[in-house]
Amino acid sequence: MIPRLVLGTLSLAVLAALSWAVLSLPAQPPGLTAEALGKLPESGVTNPVTAVLLNYRGHDTLLEVAVLLLAITGVWSLRQGEFPAADLRERPLLMSLLRVLLPVLVLTAGYLLWIGAFAPGGAFQGGAVAGGALVLGILGGLAGRWMRRESLLRLGLALGVLVFASVCAVTKALTGGLLQYPPGQGGVWILLIEAAALASIGLTLGLLYVGGRPPAGPAEPGEKEPDGHG
Amino acid sequence: MAVLVLGPLGGAAGAFAFPKGGRRLAGVAAVTAVLALLVLAREVVTNGVQLHRVGGWSAPLGIDLRGDGLAVLMLAITALIAGAVTLYAPPYFLPQAGAESRDRERWFWPLFLFLWSALNALFLSRDIFNLYVTLELLGFAAVTLVALAGKREALTATMRYLLVSLPASLFYLMGVALVYGQCATVDLSLLAAKAERGPVLWVALALMTGGLVAKAALFPLHFWLPPAHASAPAPVSALLSALVVKGPYYILLRLWFEAFPALMTPAVAQGLGALGAVAIVWGSIHALMQARLKLLVAYSTVAQLGYLFLLFPLAAVREGGWLAWNGGLLFLAAHACAKTALFLTAGNILQAAGHDRIKGLDGMTQVLPVSAFAFGLAGLSLAGLPPSSGFAGKWLLLSASLAQGQWWWAAVILGGSLLAAAYVMRVLSHAFTQVALATKPRPLPAVQEWTALVLAALAVGLGLAAQGPLALLRLGAPVVLGGAGP
Repeated sequence: MIPRLVLGTLSLAVLAALSWAVLSLPAQPPGLTAEALGKLPESGVTNPVTAVLLNYRGHDTLLEVAVLLLAITGVWSLRQGEFPAADLRERPLLMSLLRVLLPVLVLTAGYLLWIGAFAPGGAFQGGAVAGGALVLGILGGLAGRWMRRESLLRLGLALGVLVFASVCAVTKALTGGLLQYPPGQGGVWILLIEAAALASIGLTLGLLYVGGRPPAGPAEPGEKEPDGHG
Repeated sequence: MAVLVLGPLGGAAGAFAFPKGGRRLAGVAAVTAVLALLVLAREVVTNGVQLHRVGGWSAPLGIDLRGDGLAVLMLAITALIAGAVTLYAPPYFLPQAGAESRDRERWFWPLFLFLWSALNALFLSRDIFNLYVTLELLGFAAVTLVALAGKREALTATMRYLLVSLPASLFYLMGVALVYGQCATVDLSLLAAKAERGPVLWVALALMTGGLVAKAALFPLHFWLPPAHASAPAPVSALLSALVVKGPYYILLRLWFEAFPALMTPAVAQGLGALGAVAIVWGSIHALMQARLKLLVAYSTVAQLGYLFLLFPLAAVREGGWLAWNGGLLFLAAHACAKTALFLTAGNILQAAGHDRIKGLDGMTQVLPVSAFAFGLAGLSLAGLPPSSGFAGKWLLLSASLAQGQWWWAAVILGGSLLAAAYVMRVLSHAFTQVALATKPRPLPAVQEWTALVLAALAVGLGLAAQGPLALLRLGAPVVLGGAGP
């Protein structure tokens, strides 16, 4: 009872302090919006959020992509997961849904990646959609077929960090500055980073769902194939 | 500067993608990081503080990295300890033969390299939001490395560590958000000009300090540290005790002495110092009571971290403040070397004898003479005996406290040293007895013993050669300490 009282008092104190601070914040938030918008033409993209994430504060994003890879490294080091076994032949409705949904989701992810340069979107949003598609696929029992090669999965998961770090190294060799893109080329480098990041983010989110590294050993040939061309 | 982050980070991603090449990639990444550090150190020594504006923007819009004396010192300590661990880890994981141990080594390399890149990024960053991201990377890598031990107690400790680390990060992040809302910048140097006492910044700093203190395991938020540091594999324990807890401490120094010295009231400084003093006494007494060597060494970390927080009340005073700043940071370096040596030695004993009960250490000098010597030397520095660097650091802190008339801190420093001498002697009195050995212990690879000895020797030798590193600290020293600032 006493620990609870102490914890409750502490929480209330934090709440009170936070409220006091938030109510004391300047009414007109100063912020950096004007400056961020002002430098937009030099950033290589026209969506300010993408400019912040991959240009002004690209260093943060590099480390964030690394945090995602670290998360899956941590989960995989702890335990082996299991793919849910499902036989799609027994669930024709789900199969026909997936047949429509999966390509549309992949297309949406790609669209979000592309549109990120001009409008809300980008690697994280696209990656989330791709991750959702992967979870659907895993739930539908397709994972066993897609994911026989752990080495390929590992490469795909690490791709975001590897490409991001390589772009850093190459642009540094070209311009002398970390994440300083050659003038006028910002958009191209950003798209390259985002494409690799999207693949890794999607794979990471989808595979985190499994809760461990993929089951060992290749799947048996001729194992539950849902259909000839799925 | 960028290579210091990109090298280990690329290595980490590579070691994940190609697990069989983990050890080799770690070697390459280590060499790259050390070379990049040497280049940066040379630049800083010859041309002064190095500022790198990431992306060609500059703060407040972009992120600035800065190589100054303090950053170079921390990077050098990191390179030294991480380098030693790179050499120590392969034979350490080898003898516990079998697929399971090989598997653990394969996971160790990417996690270790993530940890190293996080530390390097942390020490270079001038941006308090970017520092949050480095804290996340650092925290997750550290937590997962503890779990590598695989035993039940290690997993419990991991969970506890995670449950402290995550809310601590959140508290820090809330503070960052408030600072940005008030000052419209998250750059340490720019904040110094905008910091004014007021409710927003008081609450922001309280939140950030609370989070960082929990991550740095300052009393009373130290409870997660002993089980985590004691149950992790030996090279991991060394990294955690020598480096990981120093990351959040370093951010605290940057925040209070560079960005917000205007808010550093005597009450804040004395309060942090008081917690440090309690940590010294509490940690030392618990170290004395432990039955297992690794737990003793872990509780000793709780105590030694206390000394680092004495820097706040002592360096916040103009007169003698510079002495205390030097003393605190020299002590940090001393502790990093000595604690690494102790944990590596404890790992050696654990592998050779199969246990680390202090009462069962009789005759250790006959079995592992090099490790026993390393333990003795590191213990010398821990107890603060001359000429070790532990002594030199404490001496500077002591001089500052007496010069300022803050004699109560001097009493704590002396009392803590006596307690440290007592718990070190408790181990040595067993280790240095001659006994007829009943069982023949397993021989250890020479690398495992010698890396521990070299670090222990450094912990002692640094006391004699402290001039160089301390002269470095002048470069880019905080303005409140008489430095030129950025």
